[in-house]
Amino acid sequence: MIKKTLRVVVERVVQLWDDLTESTDAGLLGVARFFGLIYGPIDRSLPIDEAFKKALRYRLAAHVGWRQMFGGITYLLFMVLVVTGVLLAFYYRPSVEEAYPSIQHIVSEVSFGWLIRDTHVWAANLLVIAVLAHMARVFFEAAYKPPRETNWLIGLLLLFVVLAFGSTGYLLPWDQWAYWTVTEVLDAISAVPLLGAMLADALAGDVIVSGATLSRFFSLHVIVLPWIAFALLIYHFTLVRRRGIAPPASSEVEDSPNWRLSTAWTAEEHVEEGGTPFFPNHMLRLLMVTVLVLAVLTTLAALFPRPVGDLADPYTIPDELVSTWVPVDVSLALVRFLGAWGFTLFTLFALVLALLPLFDRRLERRPRQRPVATTLGLAFLVAFALAWFVGRRLRSVPPTTRPQPEIIGQLPTLDPPFLGLAEGRSNELAPSGVDAFKTREP
Amino acid sequence: MVIAVVLYGTQICVPQPALGQTPQVMRADTTYGCLMCHAEKRRSFSTGIHSDRGIQCDDCHGGNPEAFEVPAAHQGRFLGDPTKLETVQLCSSCHSDADQMRQFGLPTGQLAEFRTSRHGQLLLEESSIDAPTCTDCHDAHTILPPEDARSNVYPTNIPGTCARCHQDGDLMARYGMATDQFAEYRHSAHGVGLFDRLNFAAPTCMGCHGSHAALPPGVTEVVNVCDRCHALVGRAYAQGPHGVPSSEDGLPGCLACHSNHGTERVAPDGISAQCTNCHEPDSPAALVGIELQEGVVQASQDLDAAEHAIDELLLAGVQVVEARFRYQSALTSYSQMALVQHSLDLETLDDLAREVRSNSELVRARAEVRAEARWEHKLFLVPVWFLALATVALAWFKMRDIGHW
Repeated sequence: MIKKTLRVVVERVVQLWDDLTESTDAGLLGVARFFGLIYGPIDRSLPIDEAFKKALRYRLAAHVGWRQMFGGITYLLFMVLVVTGVLLAFYYRPSVEEAYPSIQHIVSEVSFGWLIRDTHVWAANLLVIAVLAHMARVFFEAAYKPPRETNWLIGLLLLFVVLAFGSTGYLLPWDQWAYWTVTEVLDAISAVPLLGAMLADALAGDVIVSGATLSRFFSLHVIVLPWIAFALLIYHFTLVRRRGIAPPASSEVEDSPNWRLSTAWTAEEHVEEGGTPFFPNHMLRLLMVTVLVLAVLTTLAALFPRPVGDLADPYTIPDELVSTWVPVDVSLALVRFLGAWGFTLFTLFALVLALLPLFDRRLERRPRQRPVATTLGLAFLVAFALAWFVGRRLRSVPPTTRPQPEIIGQLPTLDPPFLGLAEGRSNELAPSGVDAFKTREP
Repeated sequence: MVIAVVLYGTQICVPQPALGQTPQVMRADTTYGCLMCHAEKRRSFSTGIHSDRGIQCDDCHGGNPEAFEVPAAHQGRFLGDPTKLETVQLCSSCHSDADQMRQFGLPTGQLAEFRTSRHGQLLLEESSIDAPTCTDCHDAHTILPPEDARSNVYPTNIPGTCARCHQDGDLMARYGMATDQFAEYRHSAHGVGLFDRLNFAAPTCMGCHGSHAALPPGVTEVVNVCDRCHALVGRAYAQGPHGVPSSEDGLPGCLACHSNHGTERVAPDGISAQCTNCHEPDSPAALVGIELQEGVVQASQDLDAAEHAIDELLLAGVQVVEARFRYQSALTSYSQMALVQHSLDLETLDDLAREVRSNSELVRARAEVRAEARWEHKLFLVPVWFLALATVALAWFKMRDIGHW
């Protein structure tokens, strides 16, 4: 009986495997196609299969190598943020009452919640570094020069989106550090002439950082910014594909301006004969980098979790603000040592540097032949790294002391009967001996 | 609009008393003779409560306020500047009269109390001018109720009022008294409570010495004085071996460990040192002190550990509602220890210390579980890196195979 059943099962499995191998070409693609997961029985008119093969066969120019990996790392980190962000949103609750407890629930009770949360925090940090490294590579190799100047601008917009993501996400834990850092940032924004106050009001939605602010930041963080980011990313990648990856630095005009002809899906690629194929050569490179970045992320998350501060309290200024994001570290150091003007000048310097490609339209692309741009770029990177290092060492600072409302004069006058007449100072209101011990002296 | 303006205009034409000024009962300057010469007294008297009640200069000083000439004004039943003794008689002529004081709800026993006080004895029996009279504490003209913050007898002003004389070295030397009471009081638990925390339930000088009947408590009375506020401690103390000797045989009572004006809180690690103030260092009593101190110190450390554990848990993002509840339970037991230690009941102390410990341990256990979880998070990195490095190695070999590097 058992033997018979076993034989039937084995026959069935062999039959299934034969069907699989006969109906399609063997391999993973075949299996996927058999089950209709990719192009197959669903719609035979769309050449998805072909497109996929073409994408794998796509050849990149021979000069493309390890230096170009920072863009890939940036995208990888962005996707890590998307995935961990969605997972966090399963448990996170964006309200004043529930935000903080839900964070506590995520990090201490949800299984692997700590990993998801701290990976999200660290990915946000590494993302800023990866973006800067990517921009530095493009800047020093002058890869932003025609015909790729549009993509530099798209990249700049993406940088602002990244900063907006971090700034809005910073408030969501709703602890004292988050609350007061955001309060200081909004104060700083409202100090900017003309539009500052209006913008800060619109962002906060209230006279102080409150539940209204939390709702706004949350919806910006998980609804508005992701759509903007995806739209910009699609544009960014399309332009990379159409214009090709910039050739090595030289002073010559590109000899093969394939960007003029190539389109993503229809035209033949121009680098069929030269360069190296994406699969498996670049795919292996990507695999190595991806695995290493994920391992580093996990390590940072496990070894240096972001602590949970005290619950946000608008009535108590905390003794210290612990910074948990690279741009905050940098700003801390700049504001502390160079003052508000130093911070403003540094930001202007960064902006000028970012917009430099719009004016620098010579064809020369060798770093040594572009001393001004190279020096400015290096100076910025060194200053940024230095400020980051210093800010990381500062790590925690007391919030700015702002003038406190005069409350002493407004204290309600004590009820005279409480004091008792000179004669009547009996023990009726005297404390019991326990009171002295209830509040333990520090 | 026009009507409004007209109404407003008619309003400002009508003389109205300025806001915040209570109408003065004192007659106008020009008709009230005393003020023609004693104008400087007008302001000080008019801010006091007697002025509000319609009392006039001549009610205390006599004379004729209607007169415009000095001799005419100062004639008849004229008191002028009363002596200290006369002042007591003058004040008590109204303040000891129950019929007059009833309407204000004021007690009438001040004079009787004053007679029993050291101040009263000096003044009334020995006719010493060193002794204070009513006006030395209450001021002669600006007499304010004790709930008025400007009053000399407002709680936070009382220590200063007493110190005016009791810090006077020459004056105190005549009676063999120290002058450091105020300095000691200022830094005592009571002084800090009154001045720094504005806790008006904290006793001023009057709280222990009385006001009009001011006297240092007798040795056997000390426990009763402290007991008026520290009732539970007093009860525990009375039940212990020190209780009866203090109230009957004249042992120093509370002051033996806590001093008088300095009222110091004895730190947990300073308990046994207090015992040797009176007992021989190796006596059984001193050993009880050491045992007691060990219990309290241990409980204090347990509490500290629990507090630290809660901080750790909070930083790790753990909800600490239950841990805080446990900590509060431990704190309650610890507070009870502070009471029970006055009875030297080591058995009960031991039970309480155990309660502190068990509750603190529960909090610490939670923190330890959390610390273990942190360790597990780190262990999690071992398979992660093993897989990562293996993948990188495989990819590297493959890349070398296809000759692409």
